[in-house]
Amino acid sequence: MSDYIFLFDLDSTMTKKEILPEISVLIGREKEIRAVTESTMKGEIPFEESFLKRVKILSQISVKTVNKLVSEIPLNEEIVRFMMENHDRCYVVTGNLDIWISGLMNKLGMMDHCLCSTARDDNDTVGEVLTIRNKYATAKSFKEPLVVIGDGDNDSEMAAQATIAIGYGGVRPIAPSLLNVIDYAFYDEDKCAAFLRGLL
Amino acid sequence: MITNKTVIISCAGMGTRLGIGSTKALVDICGKPMIIRQLEMLDEVEDVRIVVGYQAQKVIDVAKEYRKDLTFCFNYNYKTTGTAASFSKALLCAKELVVSLDGDLLVNPQDMKAFIHDNEEKIGGCIPGTDDPVLMQLNEKKEVIAFSREKGDLEWTGLSQVRRERLTPDDRHLYFMLEPLLPLKTQFVRTREIDTYNDYEEAIAWFSRGCID
Repeated sequence: MSDYIFLFDLDSTMTKKEILPEISVLIGREKEIRAVTESTMKGEIPFEESFLKRVKILSQISVKTVNKLVSEIPLNEEIVRFMMENHDRCYVVTGNLDIWISGLMNKLGMMDHCLCSTARDDNDTVGEVLTIRNKYATAKSFKEPLVVIGDGDNDSEMAAQATIAIGYGGVRPIAPSLLNVIDYAFYDEDKCAAFLRGLL
Repeated sequence: MITNKTVIISCAGMGTRLGIGSTKALVDICGKPMIIRQLEMLDEVEDVRIVVGYQAQKVIDVAKEYRKDLTFCFNYNYKTTGTAASFSKALLCAKELVVSLDGDLLVNPQDMKAFIHDNEEKIGGCIPGTDDPVLMQLNEKKEVIAFSREKGDLEWTGLSQVRRERLTPDDRHLYFMLEPLLPLKTQFVRTREIDTYNDYEEAIAWFSRGCID
């Protein structure tokens, strides 16, 4: 048995759809959110700036509504099954807000292994953003050898810390910056999950 | 479906001798890129891995359009390492048997089918014909007993099939990984390797007439 700890990006790695654009459909601001998301993926806008911009756009929606929508988002089931079966060695590392994703994380039994951004829930609306998850610092904080799986520009620095870095391009293209630091890339979730099992 | 082996296609290099500014995996072979011609011969193999480096994104885009369930392995040091480095990168979590295939090799489809359909350890040989061949010396049982740059009975094509557990990673030429495993059986395969533009023209003519010598 290996000593690897597995760090998973959430959006488009665990999920079959991009979360924030899905939420934005509720208020008809999908185009706006998608444009900012695309620029972030490509590394054109720093993640923190873009994330706060997107939260601001979406903050008018009820937290409960968003939480329910996220908890029902389609998942890459084989990848998620791997995480659930190996809970103790797997962590979700995401910039997304705790108050939005807690329903999904609880459903998967991963809330205690979810490292995310945090915000205050002010009467069912997003209040102050308290912390923004820095994926690089998160990866650095582990002492064990890491396997990192992601798809976006903000996964690149986390991937650079990994012993084995994996890009998953089954939902959207792997960001160019990530492509420069990964060891393996998969576009089929069954194949990706089988490879992960081989690393246990 | 063949489930007990991993085929590793090494496509990381720049292919500068060919002189057409593209990795050899993407050169056109009678209407389709080289990598597609190779993948078409491997439809029955469950675990196919492509080692990419130069023009990685382009190779990935072309290959995954044909087949989504590929594993792409990255060799960023393709300028300074040999074929063994690419091959070794793709060995992680590989199946019981591992087949090596250079990204610049066209193989007669029937010969390739025969090669991947048996489970013996072996090396693919052809009549010596390239500018800088790796030659293989054979014993009376037609087994490879040595690799040589000077003399030999057959030229090594880059094709091999060996047990995963017997391979030790290396970063030189792939035959250094096979040398400790000799003697190994040979299988004759009809092939064309594309190194230079003359090779390319000859390979196109060969492919057009059905990969027959």
